[in-house]
Amino acid sequence: MSPSDLILVPLLASLAVLLGAGRERAAVVLVGASFITTTLAIVEVSGVPPQTAVFAGLVRVDATSRLFLVVVNPIFFGISTYIWHRVRTTPALREGISRLVWLALVFLASTNALLVANHLLALWVLLELTALTVTPLIVRPRSEASRRAAFRYLLFSTVGLGLVALGFACLGRGMEGAGLTPTFMVDRLLELRPLPINAWGKLGLALVLLGLGTKLGLAPMYSWLPETYDEAPPAVAALLGAVQFNAALVVLFRVVQIYRVSSPGLVTGQLLAMGLVSMVVSTVSIIATRNIKRLIAYASINHAGVIAIGLGVGGSATYGLLLYVLSNAFIKAILFLTAGKIMAHYKTNDTRVISGLIKELPYSGVFLMVGTIALLGFPPFGSFLGELLILSALVGSGRMLTFAAFCTLITMTFVATGRTVFPMIWGPSKEKHDWPRQTLPSALPKLTFLVVLVVLGIYIPPALNVLLQQVAQSLEGR
Amino acid sequence: MGLLGVMVVPLFVATWRGSLFGLSCQGLLIAWAAYRLNPDVHVIGTWLNLADLVLVRGIGAPLLLYRLMRSRNHTARHDIIPPNLLSWTVALGLVLAAFNLSSVLVPIDGDQRALTSVAAAAVLLAFLVLASQSTPFGQVVGALRLENGIALFELGGEHDHQSLVTQVGQLVIVVATIGLYLWLLEGFSERGNFPPEPTQDEPTL
Repeated sequence: MSPSDLILVPLLASLAVLLGAGRERAAVVLVGASFITTTLAIVEVSGVPPQTAVFAGLVRVDATSRLFLVVVNPIFFGISTYIWHRVRTTPALREGISRLVWLALVFLASTNALLVANHLLALWVLLELTALTVTPLIVRPRSEASRRAAFRYLLFSTVGLGLVALGFACLGRGMEGAGLTPTFMVDRLLELRPLPINAWGKLGLALVLLGLGTKLGLAPMYSWLPETYDEAPPAVAALLGAVQFNAALVVLFRVVQIYRVSSPGLVTGQLLAMGLVSMVVSTVSIIATRNIKRLIAYASINHAGVIAIGLGVGGSATYGLLLYVLSNAFIKAILFLTAGKIMAHYKTNDTRVISGLIKELPYSGVFLMVGTIALLGFPPFGSFLGELLILSALVGSGRMLTFAAFCTLITMTFVATGRTVFPMIWGPSKEKHDWPRQTLPSALPKLTFLVVLVVLGIYIPPALNVLLQQVAQSLEGR
Repeated sequence: MGLLGVMVVPLFVATWRGSLFGLSCQGLLIAWAAYRLNPDVHVIGTWLNLADLVLVRGIGAPLLLYRLMRSRNHTARHDIIPPNLLSWTVALGLVLAAFNLSSVLVPIDGDQRALTSVAAAAVLLAFLVLASQSTPFGQVVGALRLENGIALFELGGEHDHQSLVTQVGQLVIVVATIGLYLWLLEGFSERGNFPPEPTQDEPTL
């Protein structure tokens, strides 16, 4: 088995749907292809030694690739199953499903290619490709608002990734200035560490971090995120929040792996500032919003802030940060898919109207409850351990002001989120609804995510632990 | 000077045709500069780069946007930055800042410094356009100006480290981005003719 199979399988399936073969059963093709890639990803992670390079070095599987391949592919498979179930039970959704399927499969192929790419420009091209394939999926039929959201998303993607491209060009000029032969091959750059950082290098690094911050929804260029997540269909919001977010994060990880040793001050300072400001704006927005999807979107900005702070602090925070990232991916998938289910029943996204979920939609009620508890970083979830390690590293590195601000903001987020979400779950029903009982198969993807989330919190399998340690070490420049 | 002219002058010409003509001139002039700096026509990469700059940025994108605006019967006037003394001063200030920045980045006076100055000015002015515009058309013009600025920036460096695969990828990305912008712009209803928003009763994935 080769890493290229992870790219070819979804590409071929996409082509089949695009050319008409399997169009009738497009949702089944989506589930089938994502199941195969998930299996291949698991085999890839368990079957090959780390750091294998193929295709003239353009594809390289290292610990970071392996970790994210086993996160992204199962999540995509879960989302595909959700889509298949929605299409099967709601005939009106069959219109336009083949377009969604072929674009989603190209999105998966480019994400997998990004995870194994060994060239900074290839990473940039593939991240752009994920943005381009997901943009049409944000647009809902006959909705001007969703088209505006898609336009805004594309504009911010173009600008953010434009900054990244500009940053890479500057880093290349920086290498020339330092007398090195410019290269964008990740493995060669890792060998060259510590790279000399001159004025070009500093400018390039700052631009790359700012551009990738835009893709992750970090301040100052985060304003696309709430609107996009709100207007996109819940399944697409889950793709953005749980899959594409991790793809952008991998690009950031690559840059940090290469440049942390060369310029620790710049990386740490910029990430801490972006992280803290993101937490401030998201907390204020969480307090103000009454829209369930926007609430999850602001929580995503908050999470991106926590991740930026963890990455900025480094040291012992890095392992915690990775645990937090993994948990965050599953939490967002659970919450967006649950929000989709809730909105499909209540026909609203207003949190003041939705009430009594635990009685009316028991599965969704439980998922929303557990997802929110994990979102807020409570035990026994991985997000709790992750936050704890980041906080401990903040204290350990003497950043007491950042520590105090972090604690205050997390507490405010907890109160604001709980005040909005818990009445939705346990509050009295406002109307008598006569909905069919939720079936277990419809809840299966979210249930699986939930099991993974709990497992991450109470028991980390040794193989995963080794992988996490390897990625943490690489982020520390070792 | 020609490149700097096509970056700055369209800002003060308050018509959408002027903006598109400016974009077209930028693409063609950057292509000319790229050819001057790397005249090796026996390399596929050079042809790809020229195709991107001439066919896509210089002709394709401005022409398609022109057709779209014509089909909408858009009024001739379209300010790309607010028509007041403050924004004109900011624009000129950004050009000066770009020249100062390039003197830090490239200490030796010469072609490299001039190219860096113009590229930095192009990027900063693109951000000014993006920050000033609220219309989708104006924002697309800003995004395309930014792409042109980046292309100009990339001319200054060595290109041996760019593989053919990534160059093809970049070309595909530029074409797909422009195509998506046009698709989204075409779908926007004209003023006063918004279709009704779908109600929450309509199912969604």
